[in-house]
Amino acid sequence: MNTLLQISDMGMVFPTPKGAFVALEHVNLTIQQGEFVSLIGHSGCGKSTVLNVVAGLYQATSGGVILNGKEVQQPGPDRAVVFQNHSLLPWLTAYENVELAVKQVFSKTGEHSKTKTEMKEWIEHNLKLVHMDHAMHKRPNEISGGMKQRVGIARALSMQPDILLMDEPFGALDALTRAHMQDSLMEIQQELNNTVIMITHDVDEAVLLSDRIVMMTNGPAATIGSILDVPLARPRDRLALSRDAEYNHLRSDVLKFLYEKQRKVENLNAPVNKCDQGENANHAA
Amino acid sequence: MKYGRVVKWLGVLILLLSMPWRLGWSGEQLGFPEKEELTFGFIKLTDMAPIAIAYEKGYFEDEGLYVTVEAQANWKVLLDGVIDGRLDGAHMLAGQPLAATIGFGTEAHIITPFSMDLNGNGITVSNEIWKQMKANIPKRKDGKPVHPIKADALKPVVEKYKSEGKPFNMGMVFPVSTHNYELRYWLAAGGLHPGFYAPKKGDISGQIDADVLLSVTPPPQMPATLEAGTIYGYCVGEPWNQQAVFKGIGVPVITDYEIWKDNPEKVFGITAEFAEKYPNTTIRIVRALIRAAIWLDENNNANRPEAVKILSQSNYVGADYEVIANSMTGTFEYEKGDKRAVPDFNVFFRYHATYPFYSDAVWYLTQMRRWGQIPEHKTDDWYHQVANKVYRPDIYSKAAQSLIDEGLASKKDFPDFATEDGFKPPQSEFIDGIVFDGTKPNAYIEKFPIGLKAKQSL
Amino acid sequence: MDRQVSLALMQDDELLPKWVDTVKRWGVLFLSTVAGPVVGIMAFLLMWSVAAQNIQTSLGQFPGPSDVWTQVKNLQAEHIAERQKADAFYQRQEERNQARLQVDPDYKPKIRAYTGKETFLDQIFTSLKTVMSGFIVAALIAIPLGIAIGLSRGLYQSVNPIIQVFKPVSPLAWLPIVTMVVSAVYVTPEPLVSKSYLVSMFTVTLCCLWPMVVNTAVGVASIDEDLVNVSKVLRLPALKHVQKIVLPASIPMIFTGMRLSLGVAWMVLIAAEMLAQNPGLGKFVWDEFQNGSSDSLGRIMAAILTIGLIGFLLDRGMLQLQRWLSWDKSSAER
Repeated sequence: MNTLLQISDMGMVFPTPKGAFVALEHVNLTIQQGEFVSLIGHSGCGKSTVLNVVAGLYQATSGGVILNGKEVQQPGPDRAVVFQNHSLLPWLTAYENVELAVKQVFSKTGEHSKTKTEMKEWIEHNLKLVHMDHAMHKRPNEISGGMKQRVGIARALSMQPDILLMDEPFGALDALTRAHMQDSLMEIQQELNNTVIMITHDVDEAVLLSDRIVMMTNGPAATIGSILDVPLARPRDRLALSRDAEYNHLRSDVLKFLYEKQRKVENLNAPVNKCDQGENANHAA
Repeated sequence: MKYGRVVKWLGVLILLLSMPWRLGWSGEQLGFPEKEELTFGFIKLTDMAPIAIAYEKGYFEDEGLYVTVEAQANWKVLLDGVIDGRLDGAHMLAGQPLAATIGFGTEAHIITPFSMDLNGNGITVSNEIWKQMKANIPKRKDGKPVHPIKADALKPVVEKYKSEGKPFNMGMVFPVSTHNYELRYWLAAGGLHPGFYAPKKGDISGQIDADVLLSVTPPPQMPATLEAGTIYGYCVGEPWNQQAVFKGIGVPVITDYEIWKDNPEKVFGITAEFAEKYPNTTIRIVRALIRAAIWLDENNNANRPEAVKILSQSNYVGADYEVIANSMTGTFEYEKGDKRAVPDFNVFFRYHATYPFYSDAVWYLTQMRRWGQIPEHKTDDWYHQVANKVYRPDIYSKAAQSLIDEGLASKKDFPDFATEDGFKPPQSEFIDGIVFDGTKPNAYIEKFPIGLKAKQSL
Repeated sequence: MDRQVSLALMQDDELLPKWVDTVKRWGVLFLSTVAGPVVGIMAFLLMWSVAAQNIQTSLGQFPGPSDVWTQVKNLQAEHIAERQKADAFYQRQEERNQARLQVDPDYKPKIRAYTGKETFLDQIFTSLKTVMSGFIVAALIAIPLGIAIGLSRGLYQSVNPIIQVFKPVSPLAWLPIVTMVVSAVYVTPEPLVSKSYLVSMFTVTLCCLWPMVVNTAVGVASIDEDLVNVSKVLRLPALKHVQKIVLPASIPMIFTGMRLSLGVAWMVLIAAEMLAQNPGLGKFVWDEFQNGSSDSLGRIMAAILTIGLIGFLLDRGMLQLQRWLSWDKSSAER
């Protein structure tokens, strides 16, 4: 396996009215081609920041990200993002949402260019992949939350990205829908052998989907606390795994990390809050 | 076949022969109009009638002129319209071309080739003032007040207001309007000072030393302003005096006919530049207006009811038929029910009403001097030069002569153009009996007990 | 117990033929959409006529609904009469041109527009034309400006104080300045449109400008951060970003601004026409007021109702346009 992405000594400092806030420190991570990596940690702390830096939406204050040997400077379709709340353009149909991405990526002349018919086929293919071919011409407000997220994934996949960045993609869905989506995602990953970074705070989801689970410490100055390999064989079946000893062992390892080592301190001065402030300040700017 | 051809040629011949009639003396002397599409402004007053009649009776079209007639908000807007070219010509106060030419107010060379009418104004006071004035007016046997009513009857009322510290306000329509001078003449003749202007000191309110404070209100708004109590009386043209009677809000006390018999009233004003640029158009406009004036007065005012009907249209004066008819058909209603015959209340043509007499111009200039609008002494020559510059009987004569030649007007209705010098013989029919001789303006100014003397300045 | 009753009722309902249900539904619809307004209007007319009988003005009794209706018919009759006069005018002109060609072969005949008075219907048309053109000019300026301001924080900060100061100024206060500037700048020997039309139009433009700029800017500035990120990930070029993301996303807010300003513009236009004596419904009202004839109040009331009706229709029209153009149907509900 080749190294696809390398995060080296990434640090992130946000300026706030109360002074600089250190959100991330010394984050080091190497991801291989075709690997599925989850980032887990308590809410609000650093995970999204890591993802956004990889996406190029944020610039790290120190260290950096190298993708395919090139440093990441700005966002681009080679690092497709699936946002937590689908982020579909509400005035476009599912088809048109995917089309916007496909046209942008494949209409340029060059080796990746596609003809009109090829584009149409490609769009339909991606929607079929996420089982959305029956509702291609519906607008986001006419379909369910799960379906929206499927379209969001189809849009990301249609860009043929080097790496797929998923920011709590199923966080807003109900448990049943979420299970369906996870199964779908596994299928697709099996088929396309995508490289994926996914943020989650659902322990089961992390163990079920990942090849490795990256566990983050609480902020401020959050960093990678520990990395857990998930050597479970694929394809994975959620029912079979629930009785699998290794699965349960891995699961309890993650839980231990989250609820013993990095227990979240719930008070007003909790670093989580500060961390939120830091991110908000950045958003506002 | 041959017969048909002869008929055709005969037809063309007849058409050609009839041409001068239809196009108005086109061939030899008077050419086609240089400018055909014109816009004329007017203020909603019955004395705009010549313009309305020339339009409605097709006299403008007979001259090949396509005229749009537009009501204006007030006299200033109207004058500015003529100056900046938005309007080609307008129904103007006699004082406006004079004042504009000598530079009192907006300066511009405006001329008048046509005088629109004689008389037509009145002074109205509110019911409240009338009640107090009435005690001072002698009664006829039938119990109605003796006319003309002089301002002497108003004097005690004004004095009472003054002693109570209340300013006595009256409205007129424009600083250089006939109404301003007439109201001032009437007040001064009754011993009430209407106030001086001092433009050199920047005072153009005209209220220096005033017993009665005069201010400007556009004609159509006079009744409403009186009703609101802002002013106690006003001097304005028709129908706004009769409107006060109809609305029951005021009583006309005197018409300008009684202040100065057959006084010149509105004029038709255009820029000197227009007359120079479009000489044929100018003459043709005057031709149409003369024909309208003839129509208005012919057969002893027989067409007046029809004229009233036209004027009552909302795009012209727009007041009710009865209100306009009251003064236009030879009567005038003072107090409600006190309707008296004033056959010459509105004169549009007879008595050479449309001829622009230099002496009329001189009279307005003497009044401007009398009240300080002309701040310094001017020689008699100056008065005559200004009159010459603004009043253009030369244009009028050409237009009238062409009408006479075509048989559209008769020679006897006009002054003898060969000998007319533009000065009326000395006139004595003023309310105060002071004689006006247009050839001696400075001597005339000296005669007034109230007003600036010939060499006096403020 | 309750359950049984309701069950019984339901069964009863099911036993009834279907058309009864349909009739019932239509009945409810009728009551809520037709009957209500009709009752309201009837009550208003009644109150109006009673009140009118008790108001005496110096121009006579205040006009009741029937007087106004008479005036509406008069105004229509005047319009028809004027059209006939116009036809006669054109015919006379044709004949005159022909006659002149006979004696003056070099003459280039031309047909001049009718010079007669503007009827009530003409005035309505003039006002509508003025408000629409002023509105469109404002939209062409305000929407691009609003987008630019919404996109750039720096621009927003520099322009905001100016907008905040000018926004509360009544466009009527601008009227004298607009009049003078138009007179000074618009000097052509053969004007295509009249100065008064331009003055009214620019007054409307000034009035529409601020609400549209502000609403567009707010709409653009409040676009969902995620949508902007989508655009960033796709690396949409600036123009495409505006076209594909910014414009559609802010359409509901832009329309809110447009509806707001059109409503205000219509009100302001009428006042401006009254004040400046520019052709239109406002001038009609003012002329009638000045005429002071016994019909004047009735005609003014007719004009007021017309103004109201047109204002209402303009608003509905914008709403319809919004429904048609905007993806967000919920924003176009009332």
